[in-house]
Amino acid sequence: MVTAGLIHYILNLLHLTVHIRDVCVFLAPVFSGLTAISTFLLTRELWNQGAGLLAACFIAIVPGYISRSVAGSFDNEGIAIFALQFTYYLWVKSVKTGSVFWTIGCCLSYFYMVRVTYSTFYIVGLILSMQVPFVGFQPIRTSEHMAAAGVFALLQAYAFLQYLKDRLTRQEFQTLFFLGISLAACIVFLTVIYLTYTGYIAPWSGRFYSLWDTGYAKIHIPIIASVSEHQPTTWVSFFFDLHILVCTFPAGLWFCIKNINDERVFVALYAISAVYFAGVMVRLMLTLTPVVCMLSAVAFSSVFEHYMGDDTKREKPPAEDSSDEDDKRNSGNLYDKAGKVRKHVSEQEKAEEGLGPNIKSIVTMLMLMLLMMFAVHCTWVTSNAYSSPSVVLASYNHDGTRNILDDFREAYYWLRQNTDEHARVMSWWDYGYQIAGMANRTTLVDNNTWNNSHIALVGKAMSSNESAAYEIMRSLDVDYVLIIFGGVIGYSGDDINKFLWMVRIAEGEHPKDIRESDYFTPQGEFRVDKAGSPTLLNCLMYKMSYYRFGEMQLDFRTPPGFDRTRNAEIGNKDIKFKHLEEAFTSEHWLVRIYKVKKLENREALDHKLRSVVSKQKYTSKKTAKRKRGHIKNKLVLKKGKKLPKK
Amino acid sequence: MTRRSAFVAACLLFVAALSSEVSADGLVNEDVKRTVDLSTHLAKITAEIVLSNHGQSSVQSFILAVDADLAPHMAYIGASVKGDEEEDGTLELQQTSIQGQRGEFYKVLLPSTLAAGAQLKVKTEMMFSHVLKPFPTQITQAERQLVVFQGNHYLYSPYPTRSQTTRVRLASKTAESYTKLGNPSKTDEIIEYGPFRDVAPFSEDALKIHYENNTPFLTITSITRTIEVSHWGNIAVEETIDLRHTGAILKGPFSRYDYQRQSDSGISSVKSFKTILPASAQDVYYRDEIGNISTSHLQVLDDSVEVEVRPRFPLFGGWKTHYIIGYNLPSYEYLYTLGDQYALKMRLVDHVYDDQVIDYMTVKIVLPEGAKNIHVDTPYKIDRMPNQLHYTYLDTFGRPVLVATKNNLVEQHIQDFVVHYTFNKILMLQEPLLVVGAFYILFFTVIIYVRLDFAITKDPAAEVRMKVASITEQVLTLVNRRLGLYRHMDEVVNRYKQSRDTGALNSGRKTLEADHRTLTSEISSLQARLKTEGSDLAEKVGEIQKLDGQVKDLVCRSCSEAERLVGGKVKKETYIESEKNLTGRRQELISRIDSLLDAL
Repeated sequence: MVTAGLIHYILNLLHLTVHIRDVCVFLAPVFSGLTAISTFLLTRELWNQGAGLLAACFIAIVPGYISRSVAGSFDNEGIAIFALQFTYYLWVKSVKTGSVFWTIGCCLSYFYMVRVTYSTFYIVGLILSMQVPFVGFQPIRTSEHMAAAGVFALLQAYAFLQYLKDRLTRQEFQTLFFLGISLAACIVFLTVIYLTYTGYIAPWSGRFYSLWDTGYAKIHIPIIASVSEHQPTTWVSFFFDLHILVCTFPAGLWFCIKNINDERVFVALYAISAVYFAGVMVRLMLTLTPVVCMLSAVAFSSVFEHYMGDDTKREKPPAEDSSDEDDKRNSGNLYDKAGKVRKHVSEQEKAEEGLGPNIKSIVTMLMLMLLMMFAVHCTWVTSNAYSSPSVVLASYNHDGTRNILDDFREAYYWLRQNTDEHARVMSWWDYGYQIAGMANRTTLVDNNTWNNSHIALVGKAMSSNESAAYEIMRSLDVDYVLIIFGGVIGYSGDDINKFLWMVRIAEGEHPKDIRESDYFTPQGEFRVDKAGSPTLLNCLMYKMSYYRFGEMQLDFRTPPGFDRTRNAEIGNKDIKFKHLEEAFTSEHWLVRIYKVKKLENREALDHKLRSVVSKQKYTSKKTAKRKRGHIKNKLVLKKGKKLPKK
Repeated sequence: MTRRSAFVAACLLFVAALSSEVSADGLVNEDVKRTVDLSTHLAKITAEIVLSNHGQSSVQSFILAVDADLAPHMAYIGASVKGDEEEDGTLELQQTSIQGQRGEFYKVLLPSTLAAGAQLKVKTEMMFSHVLKPFPTQITQAERQLVVFQGNHYLYSPYPTRSQTTRVRLASKTAESYTKLGNPSKTDEIIEYGPFRDVAPFSEDALKIHYENNTPFLTITSITRTIEVSHWGNIAVEETIDLRHTGAILKGPFSRYDYQRQSDSGISSVKSFKTILPASAQDVYYRDEIGNISTSHLQVLDDSVEVEVRPRFPLFGGWKTHYIIGYNLPSYEYLYTLGDQYALKMRLVDHVYDDQVIDYMTVKIVLPEGAKNIHVDTPYKIDRMPNQLHYTYLDTFGRPVLVATKNNLVEQHIQDFVVHYTFNKILMLQEPLLVVGAFYILFFTVIIYVRLDFAITKDPAAEVRMKVASITEQVLTLVNRRLGLYRHMDEVVNRYKQSRDTGALNSGRKTLEADHRTLTSEISSLQARLKTEGSDLAEKVGEIQKLDGQVKDLVCRSCSEAERLVGGKVKKETYIESEKNLTGRRQELISRIDSLLDAL
């Protein structure tokens, strides 16, 4: 965000009046371009130029990264991946050049270090929790970031020692080094423990636990489990996001481990931890993607190196091995030009035997086929899954014309234009940011709400019956309630389908009032039709979703009130509201907004005001004349006459 | 100018002094046909007046009066002479006042003097906005919208009227109530009042009509029209519009079900309307703060471009929306030039929807950077604001922006304005040159940075390394070339074995010898240089030289072997045997050389 602001500021300073919105929209693609470049550089450091080129190609089109880098996906994560790749590049570079340029670049390398460690802090934090610190003291206060901070401190110490190494003799240095490291480690460890106990640092948060134990979230914090991005990754999504790279990635890792050196150790570690994290959470697939691209590129390029060559090929595996070693060494000392010249001639020298041209061409063709399929898959995924904005839905008719369902924006814009500026909207937290951004209205909970009980309260309001919900909404000062209902067009991501999570989250905080089992049929099913549980059929969410839907007949084959998403005729068609009224429903009923009525002046009484009448009898000790002049009776009479006329 | 206005004021004073004898100019409304059109959300009052001069002297102007209650809502007033032919001459109006009388007065200047006793047919037109008041002010979705109009039965005029009729046109047949002066007749949507005979000057009698009117009560509460002129051939127009339904306010819930299933539900709501843009409009966009509004349609006609503007949601009473519509126009249709003189002629306000009402309009005209001597001609009075500066891409000192505002506009205000200014054509090159300059500086900096050494400290070791590296590289090339020579020699030998051409073999051998000698000497000179640089690589190069000498011997031997074979001095088997032997040794030597090279 700061980056976007900075770019905007600089451009406007140059009188390039770009709208901040455009900056935000194009930030992700620009940074993904930079990511491709830094991936190239990193892989070149790691293996060779060909692999770098392949890696850059892979990262450019791989769906796992495209999902964050399409224009308009303004997120920390898009930039974070660039920072990650570039930092790793600088890291590897500084590790490598550190020994050669030591005399010149002590200062420079230290600068690198600081830079790298700063980013390492950033990245380790990223890997651990994917929570880029944007909320005040959050990063300093939570334990997961403490580890990052610890690493940071250690690296600072290490860098300082490295600096000292320059000045001291080897013997002195070694003793000092071990002393310093162990001391620093002890101090950091103790500080963390102390701070945790004294409450300065929040204990490990649930998200962090769920990284280690996939089952943890489901049991303890339903809110984390409810986010689809926090689910454990399935094989399908691995394949969907990475396609063929999933298979070639281990091969690349094997190549790396086989010819191990400093930076390859680093990448291997990165790869292994990323695989683990990606397996735990779908969302962390993003951190896996770059390393998969790099290692797959390594795999592909070594295969191609082996099987493609020129017309004259090299002879035996040892030759290839030696050439790899050359590479490794060459990349270390700046004179790779020399290596190249030497390589192809000396290899040409050797007479060919071994693999026949047929096998070579078949393997090459196969590899190319794989790459082609990968490209096709990526294009398909990109155009189908990631190119369409999630806020605008599109459907296609039989003749290919496109229907745009712009219901979300319709309703949000209605809220923006036709409600009070200070109106408070209650909705499930998924739509919090959208409402804040598009409707410009205050929401109770949004995507960044950390307060679990607040969300639970909204969940409780949604899952209680109307009068109980009204109490909650009154206490929360709610003016409007917004829900998503997909029953008319068959949109599956609506609130009824998310409803069980609301119930679960509400139950977590209010186990006395809300019980998940109440919302299931005795058979343990979640049904919205007549067989559904009465608690469900009378809860606020159900009533708001299906208000007047029972009258609606969508087509002639189905009965009125047929829910297309759940393929069932709804069970409660006679829905009346007492405290709410329909304020707006979008064209395809996707978004429904209800207004919470203010308290009436006085509750209407069911019985007659008997006591008042009897009292009048007692108190009226007036003459007939005075009685005639009594205003109360007159008014009542007139009212009764006028109203029926109209 | 001031003198003239002083003169007018003096005239007015004079007229005011004689106000009781206004009819002293002897003007009389002989016959008045008045039409009050209430079929939309505007009130259009037109009157066809036959004016006759009963005085002694001829007159040059007459006074047009507007009712005091309606005057604040008046958006437009106009008068024209109705000749015998169809051509209507529009007349010039000047606002005046008459002492002791309420209302607004306009002095209409006649094209020619009206002689005593002569008659003239005049047509006047007045437009009033926001005079139809919804009553009740709040209705539910199912109800119809009723409005009240309050006006005058008579023509409000400073002159006596001989005969007058008033015809009121409503929006629908249903009228709740209407005043019954003179027993009016009502057929369908039309109520006819009169004829009234001999009405005194300034007579007023309240007309009140309460009727059903479901036409869209759309009001543009504010519009900002930005016209940006580029001398590169484009005029960009953008209108930011705030729209509100000013009819009866929706009471209670809005039910989408009713709205979709019942045709008369929300009958007074606005679903969509048409905006007519100029025929040459291109790249039309229709959006708001949250992006493109996908519910619009564009139709390109021969003489216009029609946009069906559909707000994101239907507009019910009291609801409002906000959107931006913009398009590009080719400048040759609107920008006229003569040397450095430019004139921009465009519409001050354009069509948004039929029978539009604009409460508040701001027009901004962005001229190119460097435009001077700006002068504006507007068709009607408009409030000029101080000029602003606008900075866009590559601007250095900003573009002049003319800003003007006006309240209460209707369709009749769609008229052209003209902006004159001068602009030096050379300034057009300023921005391209700026870009060129910026890139020049960038590239120049890069060139300087790459070509020059900015290191503070010199590193002799690194320099030596670099030198050694370059020498090593040269050595490598030379060695490889030498190895290539041997391969070439092999080919020569093979060819010789087939062709048995001794001459070719000998010449090949000679070239080999010569090339080999030069290469070897070059390598040894490089070796010497390496030694001077103090590199231990020199020894390795020496070793390579030694090995190479052996290789060369082997090559020569295989050559002579081949000669012997061709000469028939050895048997084929023995030749193959020895050849194999030689090749093996050669291979061994070469791989040793390779490993040495690798170690370099």
